[in-house]
Amino acid sequence: MGMADSQLRVAIIGAGIGGLSLGLALQERGIQADVFEQAPELTEIGAAIALSANSIREYTRLGLTPELAANSTVPTELIYRHWQDGSRIAATPVQEDGWYEKRFGAPYFGIHRADLQKTLSAAFNPGHLHLGCRIVNLVQEPDAVRLEFANGRVERADIVVGADGVRSTVRRWVTGADDAVYSGTSAFRGIVPTENLRSLPDPHAIQFWMGPDAHLLHYAIGGHGESVNFFAVVETPKQWLHPGSTAEVHEELPVASFRGWHPAVTEMIQAAASPVSWALFTVRPLLRWYRDRVVILGDAAHGMLPHHGQGANTSIEDAFALAALLADAKGDTPDITFARFQTLRRTRTRKIQRSAQVTSSLLHLPDGPAAQQRNDKVARVPQDFSWIHEYDTQLELQKIGCSPAPSATGTH
Amino acid sequence: MDQNRSLTDITTTLAAAAGINPADVTPDMSIAGDLDIDSLTMLEVIVALEDHFGLLIPDDEWSRFTTVGDLAAHLERAGVVAS
Repeated sequence: MGMADSQLRVAIIGAGIGGLSLGLALQERGIQADVFEQAPELTEIGAAIALSANSIREYTRLGLTPELAANSTVPTELIYRHWQDGSRIAATPVQEDGWYEKRFGAPYFGIHRADLQKTLSAAFNPGHLHLGCRIVNLVQEPDAVRLEFANGRVERADIVVGADGVRSTVRRWVTGADDAVYSGTSAFRGIVPTENLRSLPDPHAIQFWMGPDAHLLHYAIGGHGESVNFFAVVETPKQWLHPGSTAEVHEELPVASFRGWHPAVTEMIQAAASPVSWALFTVRPLLRWYRDRVVILGDAAHGMLPHHGQGANTSIEDAFALAALLADAKGDTPDITFARFQTLRRTRTRKIQRSAQVTSSLLHLPDGPAAQQRNDKVARVPQDFSWIHEYDTQLELQKIGCSPAPSATGTH
Repeated sequence: MDQNRSLTDITTTLAAAAGINPADVTPDMSIAGDLDIDSLTMLEVIVALEDHFGLLIPDDEWSRFTTVGDLAAHLERAGVVAS
């Protein structure tokens, strides 16, 4: 069966940022997909993300940006600081002088994941979002894929997209292996009212505090920067022995891990109540993101360390690219469409994945000559990483002969 | 596939991905120094080679290659090109 678009049955596994974005991107192209989510309710984990221009320009075309802006904080600056004395090692304007938006054609937002998920799900046809559906099996049939869910439900689809995260079940079906790799680093995270952070300089900036074997990243979220979201990364445990991606730790451990750091750092970590460690997993580079009628995207395909803030943003790029290619498929078989998708996306995501890996060790250098070299390097971050933020999915689609979204001007 | 053909395949794919003239590429050349290929451009090369030869080249491997010859030797060891 060819992919006649009007009746194309697309099943998306996972209602995270990638899955919902794909649902919306297909809706924009006139394809109604069904999204299956294992959770009984849409309750994104209590954490924030940063959205950058490369993904926001897609949401802008769908008219979502004003609502996102109302719940977001645009960082004043990007600042790198010394772990102990707090000195400013490098700084670049973001909101100041409108620098970032002028340079990259869309804003930069710090936003709570739940706020983002709420905006995305409200824009998606509610009759096609199926909660409490955990995928347990995929079965290849002559003209479809049969999807079997833990609640007994069975569905058939022409195209199945695994947007089910770094520990993806769908990926295991595609590659036949578990390709998730523990990075040897884990994070403590939390959200703290800004007013409680008395020692924190520049509370509305996005800041990296860099020290030996650890770093702390934070930025403000909410419509008025009322909270600060932080992410504190350490190079322990060496091995991750828990079945899931999080584990309870001794209540003293988060603060003890940053003993001797600047008071702003210890105060922030102290203020976050829950002593939970988040394992940072990546996905080893894959040669193929698809099998039969099934393809993976986002973290499922290229799970990366978060140090460029690009996990969600590249998932969103993937979603809009895949939607365009599915809509453009005409009579092509799925593997032709998926091959185009992979060709368009694999090099870019591999580069960001690799670069985030290299960044991890750079952020964790002890004081000394190597840290000094690194400090010179972070001063060039705006130039060195502009390629991440200036990316325009619709322009890249045009370059490979795929028609841009209906209202995309293709310029910024 | 004889040895020359294999090397030609590698240099052609590398040159196309890096945007350089394949006639300018010889096995003894250093990737970073002589060919001025930085790590991001190198990933364009690696992904192109992976797609061409159907073989994954892990980051831990390619990041240790110094010369074009190191790259060719890796592909020979992996059995995807003739030695």
